[in-house]
Amino acid sequence: MRLQHYLGGLENLGPVNFFEKKVFMAEWEKRIFGIHTVMMAESVHLDKSLPKYPLSEVPTTFKDTWTWASLRIGAENMQPFEYFKYRYYEKWLMGISQFFIDRGYVTAKELATLTEHYRAHPDSPLPEQPNPALKEQVVRYLHHGDSGLRAPADLVRFAVGDTVYVTDPEAADHTRLPAFLRNKKGTVTEVYPGAFEYFVSTGPDGLDGLQHVYCVSFLASDIWGPDKSEPNTVIYADLFEAYLKPAHSM
Amino acid sequence: MSSLFKYDKDREAASAAKVRALEALLIKKGVLGSDSVDAVLRHFETVAGPFNGARIVARAWVDAEYKARLLEDTPKAIAELQFPGMTGAEGEHMKAVANSATVHNLIICTLCLCYPWPVLGLPPYWYKDPVFRSRGVREPCAVLREFGVTIPEGKEVKVWDSSAQIRWFVIPERPAHSEHLNEEQLAALVTPEAMMGVALVPSPPPCLRHPNVYSIRRICRDADVRATRFATA
Repeated sequence: MRLQHYLGGLENLGPVNFFEKKVFMAEWEKRIFGIHTVMMAESVHLDKSLPKYPLSEVPTTFKDTWTWASLRIGAENMQPFEYFKYRYYEKWLMGISQFFIDRGYVTAKELATLTEHYRAHPDSPLPEQPNPALKEQVVRYLHHGDSGLRAPADLVRFAVGDTVYVTDPEAADHTRLPAFLRNKKGTVTEVYPGAFEYFVSTGPDGLDGLQHVYCVSFLASDIWGPDKSEPNTVIYADLFEAYLKPAHSM
Repeated sequence: MSSLFKYDKDREAASAAKVRALEALLIKKGVLGSDSVDAVLRHFETVAGPFNGARIVARAWVDAEYKARLLEDTPKAIAELQFPGMTGAEGEHMKAVANSATVHNLIICTLCLCYPWPVLGLPPYWYKDPVFRSRGVREPCAVLREFGVTIPEGKEVKVWDSSAQIRWFVIPERPAHSEHLNEEQLAALVTPEAMMGVALVPSPPPCLRHPNVYSIRRICRDADVRATRFATA
């Protein structure tokens, strides 16, 4: 098991830090959020996504696929105690910097040297090199998104009202299955129209190619046990078909 | 876990210098323009944000038929309002769920941080807190109590864990004593927390319950509060 997949349901954590209502804890966090979002907006997979973006016409040297899955693969592969040690955008900064080094866009030495420069001169400016066509693509992406919706691939396996069980696949590099639902019994409450293609194949985890997606409801008592859950509580999760099996298979 | 939110000055300065160096290098190498990151941030100050969700909720409160359409086909009903970018990034497939006398809804993402950007903007830090993501599905009522919300006995609690493509948001219950407020005034009462299901929308204070005194000034002040939240200073 991977702890990052099992966040839902961990106990003994103390109160929620509800008083931290800010979106960003420090100014620098805005910049890494922005860099990540620009990368998503110029990711090479977007010429095949919905809508089909004219990516070949966008002037950029970025020639990789970068999606939420890229960020999550990094986060889910962290040593779990490291994962909890760092603040949200600190993990983004580590993962994204390493990506650019690994893919040869920048060298570790260049980054370290320039970091020292900005350490010594925090107000020294960024290079002035606007890219209006890229900016247009960023705005276009933010306005139109990146949907995995495709035409249905084949027959829908489950119907509203069906009792289903959640599978228990091998813990892979990346999953969209909240682990607290593994092996639990639920009821299909909605079958989303169309089929969806996730950003990447998750290998033994099971996401690959077109899949139907279902909203499945779970009684809290079925997940945590009748004496260990709050009454009148239902948890809904959107689950890809690969994560579900029919009740009669149990 | 709350100590994770506190860092010494040096740690922040190191991250600030590193992200600035990274952005500078990516600009030099043609991966980013010097105007790219600012374009992203501007989007969340002007196009995508809780100001949209608040107006959608207010419309649902004053127009029961609109509310029914919103629950039936959320993207289609949102499109009626003609806000820009409503099917954009992280809003490609949104769904509204309504609180009522018998049901309370809570949204969460236990795996990461899925959130309906076009209508709610970017999530506040507590939503990213592993403690919220852990406890929200296990003891939602206990968490809500800490947030100051008491769920009456017998009320059903529905927790929506965003684990695939749908991004959920909550239509809170319209507060008592708000009959005289118009749509714009109602929108000013709606907070991001209310649209995530961790807060209720409070009744307007008695002095503000009459439309003549519930002025545009108050709405501007609330808008300022939301803008301040996006800022870090």
